[in-house]
Amino acid sequence: MARVAILRFPGTWSDRDFEHALSLAGAETEILWHEDVHLSGFDAAIVPGGFAYGDHVRAGAIARLSPAIRELRRFAEEGKPVLGSCNGFQILCEAGLLPGALTRNVGLEFRCDWVRMRIESDATPFTRGLKGAEVRMPIAHGEGCWVADEKTVERVEAEGLVVFRYVDERGAATAAGNPNGSLHNVAGLRSAAGNVVGLMPHPERCAEPLMGGTDGMKVLDGLVRSLGTAPAPLGV
Amino acid sequence: MRYVATIHVRPKIEVRDPQGEAIVGALNSLGLGVANVRTGKEIVVTFDAADEAAARRATDVMGRELLANPVIEDFSVELSGP
Repeated sequence: MARVAILRFPGTWSDRDFEHALSLAGAETEILWHEDVHLSGFDAAIVPGGFAYGDHVRAGAIARLSPAIRELRRFAEEGKPVLGSCNGFQILCEAGLLPGALTRNVGLEFRCDWVRMRIESDATPFTRGLKGAEVRMPIAHGEGCWVADEKTVERVEAEGLVVFRYVDERGAATAAGNPNGSLHNVAGLRSAAGNVVGLMPHPERCAEPLMGGTDGMKVLDGLVRSLGTAPAPLGV
Repeated sequence: MRYVATIHVRPKIEVRDPQGEAIVGALNSLGLGVANVRTGKEIVVTFDAADEAAARRATDVMGRELLANPVIEDFSVELSGP
């Protein structure tokens, strides 16, 4: 069975939701306190949403200094899948595992809503076979506006690192479909190697019909499927 | 030796500053002809260092490693010594 580590920082709040959603996908999970994160024996790691360290200084800035991030960086370098959602995406950007940064939403509103996105890359363990699919997921953030310098934006587009792009009801990447002013309607990105993925929306909050949608399971099922084809982890 | 560093953190000029944009609107509602506002923050750090050179190195680490994100922000330091 796939073993997935879920990181918990002071202020993380989506860890238990991920635990539930991943159990629906058929994965075995363990929530790990950030000061005591050892990822050997795990097949994948999740950095959930919340307000790690109260978002003091900047969202993700203090979490980035945690020993968990050193371990996560090592794990990512081994090619293991890592998913950051919402505050987890902010932390991955602060840690330099994903390009750019997430800053105050244009308009300054905290947005709690459903968004539509197009999956633009299937070169990740979470989105294989999903390129071109449109998905609907909830967001809840005040600092989800993705920014980077011009060169980085060009590189991100040229290398196909955009995994999720906000679109409107007609499927076009317009300002109307963009909830926070992100450059190029970026909702989620991957690393160059493809194993690290971050997105502002919450796949764990659309994991069964009761929650109003099930598109999050496409991403989590995708992860579990991709791990199913991998060799069994050591020590399990 | 005890030093006090006043560290200013500002969004880089090419990065949008939604807070600054909101302040432009608010100031203009007071009847002022405001064209542009950029916001930032000031962080005052009291700390110990062996000498001024060490204090400057320490403030550089503070700015780079935590207080500013070099992707989107610049910082500057005013240092006052003993």
